[in-house]
Amino acid sequence: MKYFMIAIVCVLCFLLPFFVGAYLIHVLTSIMIFLSLALSWDMMLRTGQLSFGIAGFFGLGAYASIIAVDDFSIDPLWSILVAAGFAALIALALGWIVLRLREIYFAITTLALSSVFMIFARNLSDLTGGSAGKVLYESIFKGDSIKIYWLVLSVALTVILVSELFQRTRIRFAINAIRDDEIAAKCSGVNIFKYLLFVFVLTSAIQGAVGALYAQQYAFVEPESTFSANFLLLPMSMALVGGIYSSLGPIIGAVVLGLASEYLKLIMPYGHLIIYGLILVLTIMFLPRGIYGTVVNRIAAKR
Amino acid sequence: MLLRTEKLTKSFGGLIAVKSVDLKVNQGEILGIIGPNGAGKTTLTNLISGVFYPTEGRIHFEDKDITFVPAHLRARMGIARTFQLVRPLRDFTAFENVVVSCLFARGESLREARKSARKICELVELDQPERRLDRLTVFELKKLEIARALGCQPKLLILDEVMAGLNFEEMQRMIQLVKSLREKQITICVIEHVMSVISQLTDRVVVLDRGEIIAEGPYEKVAHDPKVITAYLGEEA
Repeated sequence: MKYFMIAIVCVLCFLLPFFVGAYLIHVLTSIMIFLSLALSWDMMLRTGQLSFGIAGFFGLGAYASIIAVDDFSIDPLWSILVAAGFAALIALALGWIVLRLREIYFAITTLALSSVFMIFARNLSDLTGGSAGKVLYESIFKGDSIKIYWLVLSVALTVILVSELFQRTRIRFAINAIRDDEIAAKCSGVNIFKYLLFVFVLTSAIQGAVGALYAQQYAFVEPESTFSANFLLLPMSMALVGGIYSSLGPIIGAVVLGLASEYLKLIMPYGHLIIYGLILVLTIMFLPRGIYGTVVNRIAAKR
Repeated sequence: MLLRTEKLTKSFGGLIAVKSVDLKVNQGEILGIIGPNGAGKTTLTNLISGVFYPTEGRIHFEDKDITFVPAHLRARMGIARTFQLVRPLRDFTAFENVVVSCLFARGESLREARKSARKICELVELDQPERRLDRLTVFELKKLEIARALGCQPKLLILDEVMAGLNFEEMQRMIQLVKSLREKQITICVIEHVMSVISQLTDRVVVLDRGEIIAEGPYEKVAHDPKVITAYLGEEA
């Protein structure tokens, strides 16, 4: 029954472009981009590691995909996989070192990595176009926004599926144990480094793929906007508002904040970010477990 | 011989917590490790279980040198321990805590691990294991520590002060539990402050003081050793 409902919702999502206008489709596409980032950030957080590197791997994927299409004539659709693979490789090499750090040291180092990626993008001019960036001749699917919506939807659903697999397999036991108590975890046989590296590489690949999607949608990359802190701060806010350590929380957060920011942009073009920030502060103060976490706790308390 | 340490030494900066310890644990015995506070008992446990590595010396387990084998691999080889200050995984239920070690130390599938964990919870008499941890008593948390260690299918089980904080009746039940584990061919090291427990349980006792072994032998003999009495009570004025 539950799976039947989920299937219906998925089908409805795919059929949506036939019922609603182009504007809403555009908004939903953007929400799903951020939803995927929010979920990937949360998946890493479930291991107890706060990563600020997601904008970096997002940008890395964006550049990899644009370069793959422009310089290597790879099909834009395949370039997304190339981007995921490239982000994964870089994450594997860097994670090997960075994942020996913990807490704030890990967080700051991952933040620094994003800046380093951007500096590379700005200075490897022959490859990346330097500070002017790189523009493609046309967007993916020749800019057909409905096809782009379907593509982004497929990726978002895949990310949700991966997140749920995390929650339903032995991976959940490993990463929750690592988050709770590393010493108890390793004395129970959990290979901490292996699981941290696995989750770091996988979530970085997701971020790379999402960056590629975003770049292909607009057909260009540029250091400042591609590595923008927005691709870190918005997904983090969404996961925090929706509720961390779950699949549903970041989804709820992405939809709520995504729609709210779009609406706020319409009614107050300058300063909508202030309201956005206010929502974030109020949620963290009054709903520290986020919307979904609070609901779950209420239900658990009533039992 | 199941476990043997050779001149095992661990220093933290200038403090030498364990100093040139030659410990031998025989197959099938219950060994008591006693000593005053700060004698290095817990540090020794941490060295054997791989929480950290020694400054000097070697550790052999079943004739393999495991001195620098990481902790999770030692758990898989059959070295399990409990923690003096209990370290349950707070985001899990009691039952799921046991599933963790069955999954990763035994390498079982999720289905098998749930089955094994259920059996272990019954064995240690942990009732209603699906409870959240904040609903568990001290006694139950201590039993959970043992249950999670049993999930590693241990050949060597190190119990670090499992009696601390228990009342008399709970201690008796804990003693019965430890005895029943010995019947399952598990070799056990008991680190304990409660001497009546040591005298009831152990075949042999090792006394640590300031990081060194100062006496070993059957409890009756060790308890009357002047060096041991001095370590516990100080020099006579």
